[in-house]
Amino acid sequence: MNYSDLLSAAFSGIAVNPRRTGLTMLGIIIGVAAVVLMISIGRSFQGYILSQIESFGTNTMDIMPTGFEKFGGNLDSLTIEDFERVKRLSTVERVVPVIIVGKPVGYGREERTPMVFGATEDIFANYGLTIDHGRLLDSADEEGARHSAVVGYATALDLFGNRNPLGERIDIGGESFTVVGTLKSVGSLLLSDLDKPIFISFSAARSITGQDYLSYMTLKTVGDAEIAKRDITELLRDRHRIKNPENDPDKDDFIARSAEQVTSIISSVTLGLTVFLALIAGISLLVGGIGIMNIMLVTVTERTREIGLRKALGARPRDILLQFLAESVALTCTGGLIGIVIGTGTGWFLSQIANRILGEFHFVLSFSAILLAAVMAVGTGVIFGVYPARKAARLDPIEALRYE
Amino acid sequence: MPPLISLTGLHKSYFNEEVETPVLHGIDLKIDSGEFIAIMGPSGSGKSTLMHILGFLDRPTKGTYAFLGEDTSEKNDDALALIRATKVSFVFQAFHLLPRATVLENVMLPLLYHPGIAPSDREAYARKAIASVGLSDRESFLSSQLSGGQKQRTAIARALVTEPALIFADEPTGNLDSASGLQVMEVLEKLNAAGHTIILVTHERSTAEFADRIVHIKDGLIESDTRSHKRRRASADVKLK
Repeated sequence: MNYSDLLSAAFSGIAVNPRRTGLTMLGIIIGVAAVVLMISIGRSFQGYILSQIESFGTNTMDIMPTGFEKFGGNLDSLTIEDFERVKRLSTVERVVPVIIVGKPVGYGREERTPMVFGATEDIFANYGLTIDHGRLLDSADEEGARHSAVVGYATALDLFGNRNPLGERIDIGGESFTVVGTLKSVGSLLLSDLDKPIFISFSAARSITGQDYLSYMTLKTVGDAEIAKRDITELLRDRHRIKNPENDPDKDDFIARSAEQVTSIISSVTLGLTVFLALIAGISLLVGGIGIMNIMLVTVTERTREIGLRKALGARPRDILLQFLAESVALTCTGGLIGIVIGTGTGWFLSQIANRILGEFHFVLSFSAILLAAVMAVGTGVIFGVYPARKAARLDPIEALRYE
Repeated sequence: MPPLISLTGLHKSYFNEEVETPVLHGIDLKIDSGEFIAIMGPSGSGKSTLMHILGFLDRPTKGTYAFLGEDTSEKNDDALALIRATKVSFVFQAFHLLPRATVLENVMLPLLYHPGIAPSDREAYARKAIASVGLSDRESFLSSQLSGGQKQRTAIARALVTEPALIFADEPTGNLDSASGLQVMEVLEKLNAAGHTIILVTHERSTAEFADRIVHIKDGLIESDTRSHKRRRASADVKLK
């Protein structure tokens, strides 16, 4: 029996009972589709997040107090003097001090709770925000602690509707601010909507919050972000009198997080998540495989006389084994192919929806996922087909021919 | 030239949970190429067991079986399968055709396991065999669409297709009416006349009388081995349907 005979016997075997074949394959189709879908969506999501970070530029870095990431950490360790000293470092291109104003925003009788950032004017360049109407904050706003506000695209639309927002007065923490500009829509960054925040000058934020420490600093480095990070860490440890030669992050009262680090953390998190989801999806393949084994055992029993006949006609045990193994692999491969098409199609469709919601979400066709799914499909066919095929191969031809 | 088959002191016992059930008690038999031999005996006499051993579907417990002068007792399963694929073939009482396959596909089936016939030649071999049993006009019929007699003739074509040295026919008329049974026996008779060796296993005397030689088996031993004088010849007026 050559390969073409095997293939033809396998496919004519599974074509005998199309409904049963279809139902049996369903387990494999769902399993493979789920694996392909999970990996593709995982990869697409990872690509989306990384492209978001890259849009910032890889020489971006945030310096924040430990309370930003750790429960019980401090929130007031970064001072204005720290900012001034960081600004002077040669490896830092520009640095922006930020105070997050945790106060509601009112307009007439309306009240909203968008993020309000008090920052120097460089924040717009750092975050890639550009003006839509009016103007951005400038040094005059900063120096005079003017109550000027630049409103994000979505919040402007929400508060003012079709009205011209320029010159409108909004209330932030009980103080009146004049809207001097609105921003162009940029969508979201790392799932936080950049179209929502309101920006006021750093000095105004200080005056309305009374806060003399920074919520965080965001900066652009000159050249390699890692060198700048080393300089900043050294400077802040020195200023905060922290001895930490072993670089234990628990000893520092600040965190310096470069975009590259964030990229690598997100990559590992999404990879871990993808593998986890793919493993769960793989369980359905296992269940599908058990279904295949079950049906192959039924098939062997139903075709006992055929097996006896084939043996009487000269089939070796190996020929029978390969025939039934090929049949089970043909089942899983066909199911696998359909699953790959469905998984890829569903992934593409969901990406289109995600793209509408998040923007810049591109479907990544993962060839490794397809390869993995194909290997898993063939593997399932072999693993779960071996036992029924061996059972068929070991049948005694005389007993098999007499089987009723 | 050695005989086609030579059995010496052949014993066969079946074992069930260490309980031995002897079936054949020492068979000595020689069969030459070109013979048409009928093995007769009542149920339980051991005639089917003998056919299974002769057809390499089973092995003797004791004794020797030389096929074409070669002792087969040391051959492994694959070697016996190769003999079945190339040298012997079977016609069964229950036909054993694949119901969802056509006549042509059924007849081609043994060629899957014949190493000496190229895949491209299979159809030609099968068509020739089908023509020799008069079923050329039924080639594309599913076996489930055939009458009993046509099914058995298809099975005979399947047995012929590998051009074996020996054809076993196990109660070939057992599932047929007398007219179809007669046709099938006449086909076998013609094949024998054309040089094929045929071993017929039957318990019907009228069927056995088509053979040149009748071996009676009783209680696992050969009771008689006689040349038949009442052999019927194929009547010229019987048309194969």
